[in-house]
Amino acid sequence: MKHASRILSVYSSDTAGVASMLYELGGMTVIHDASGCNSTYTTHDEPRWYQMDSMVYISALTENDMILGNDEKLVKDVCRTAKELSPAFIALCASPMPAMTGTDLNAIGEEIREKTLLPVFPIRTNGMDCYLKGASEALLAYLEHFCREDVQKTRELSVNILGATPLDFSVNGTVEAVRKFLMEEGFRVVSCMCKGSSPGEIASAGAAQVNLAVSSCGLAAAEYLWKRFGTPFVAGVPLGIGYAKRLAGELKKAAETGENLYSCLRRHVPDERAKAPVILHEGVFASSLCCALEEDFHTEANVIAPKMLTPFLRKEEDPSPECEDLLAELFAKAGTVFADPFYKAIVPEDVPFVSLPHEAFSGRCFRRENKVLAARKIPDWRKIC
Amino acid sequence: MLKAAVYGKGGIGKSTVTANLAAAFARMGKKVIQIGCDPKADSTINLLHGEGVTPVMNFLREHDREPEKLEEIVKEGFGGVLCIETGGPTPGLGCAGRGIVTTFSLLEELELFEICKPDVVLYDVLGDVVCGGFAAPIRENYASHILIVTSGEKMALYAADNIYNAVKNFADRAYAEVFGLVLNRRNVEREEEKVREFAFSHALEIVADIPRSDEIIHWEDRNRTIVEAAEDSPVSREFFLLAEKLLAAEKKKGEDAK
Repeated sequence: MKHASRILSVYSSDTAGVASMLYELGGMTVIHDASGCNSTYTTHDEPRWYQMDSMVYISALTENDMILGNDEKLVKDVCRTAKELSPAFIALCASPMPAMTGTDLNAIGEEIREKTLLPVFPIRTNGMDCYLKGASEALLAYLEHFCREDVQKTRELSVNILGATPLDFSVNGTVEAVRKFLMEEGFRVVSCMCKGSSPGEIASAGAAQVNLAVSSCGLAAAEYLWKRFGTPFVAGVPLGIGYAKRLAGELKKAAETGENLYSCLRRHVPDERAKAPVILHEGVFASSLCCALEEDFHTEANVIAPKMLTPFLRKEEDPSPECEDLLAELFAKAGTVFADPFYKAIVPEDVPFVSLPHEAFSGRCFRRENKVLAARKIPDWRKIC
Repeated sequence: MLKAAVYGKGGIGKSTVTANLAAAFARMGKKVIQIGCDPKADSTINLLHGEGVTPVMNFLREHDREPEKLEEIVKEGFGGVLCIETGGPTPGLGCAGRGIVTTFSLLEELELFEICKPDVVLYDVLGDVVCGGFAAPIRENYASHILIVTSGEKMALYAADNIYNAVKNFADRAYAEVFGLVLNRRNVEREEEKVREFAFSHALEIVADIPRSDEIIHWEDRNRTIVEAAEDSPVSREFFLLAEKLLAAEKKKGEDAK
């Protein structure tokens, strides 16, 4: 039996990715799904739910709606709610049932657009893909609708941070640390997509001289802004001391030369025979941590890159196990495992384990032990394990 | 790019009409793709001289993975027509409508249109618009013209009426519109009169009149379309005329859009 997980949990879904990316932008995100799925989303996928209001709704789809094709009910409910709440936009996404029966959200979106006169963007989800895909498409759709054309590039060094959501960076201060670090390095941060920036700031994204994609869900947006405004991009998270410095230098160079750089892929792959550490996290983050270990500890590590966590960026040599058994084999051969604590269950006891909580995998369970690693000294894991 | 979907009652001759239309377009020098959207997967068999293409659903079942290259699910038939069949689930199980939706999204991922750059795309769809999956070929960005194949038989006209009403229900959406009726004669009593009455009451045009012909059956028994095997036959002529009408309509649509 392929792709079976006996022990491991699953990552947040593409619909959660959409909701997370658009959470702070004043729009209404409607997930076409059965009632009750709200609690999955609010309990596991959205740490801001109890601190910050946002218009995220589940359509309360019923079995009869599905069988009878009651698309009009969804149109009516969304239009009525939009009239009451006046959102800045409406994003629609499908859960497994409407995706399976081929509900035409494009056509439904068009009907809602005509009736509400609001920007409406259906986002292609099926409730089964990984959050990165949904978040990526949501950001792209938002930029296509709201990015202003009439902006001048700033005179001073400036940057957008792309792809920062709590699903990858929690609410532990990492995004704020990245922002602070960039400012200390002399960058004006035009916007951070999409955590901590206003819609107005994001609308001015074209003014930045360079973009920093801090996760896989910022890469499509980076390419879009490159094509539309000619803004070069660099992919990486400024983790540790040495790599953060290197990344800042690469950002400055990209702003100067206009050339894109997948910075986090500029790392060495250890010899197969070496019992090197392995890192499992979102692709850009994991690769950046690899770079940080190389810079700060002269240790080469492997990134484990299942396709769902590295949908748009990976090194050819990175192992890409697609099931629990293959993953367990890789863990058993590793010198140390850096991964979300949920993975500990399939790591042999004699292999040292470093906790790297990932909100998109274990939700709030380990939030307290999720340390900020951005632009600061990374604790020496060899002394902890 | 001209994109048309062919609907009609089961067994009314949709695949015969679609394949001959594809052959006619090919003979006119057009690059054509024909996508059979029927679990029977026999839409393109005569274009392929009896050596069918692997249907997408069969591929998924046999390989337990999605196709990675177009060559795995596309085969070139008469006149360079690229033939694709969605196929269907294990009979009695699964969901055929979902199969169509899946096939379309796979073809999109494999960049079928970008790579093959067709002039004409024809969708041959199973019977009625019974659920969302069977409406997929007429959604925005897919077909923009619908042909309904019918004879003068009561049940064929009944099905044509159902299809017409289903399309009408989508008036608010940017779906395809009915281009006209293809009268595929069965030589029933007052056939032309009945179909003309239907066309008039639905404000539709009869855009092709295919005579009952042993010639079609003769060539289909030999895995050929009549347009390929007997280009100059009066029956073939009807398919060429229909192809010309569709191209003219598409051209006009393009000019109106400008």
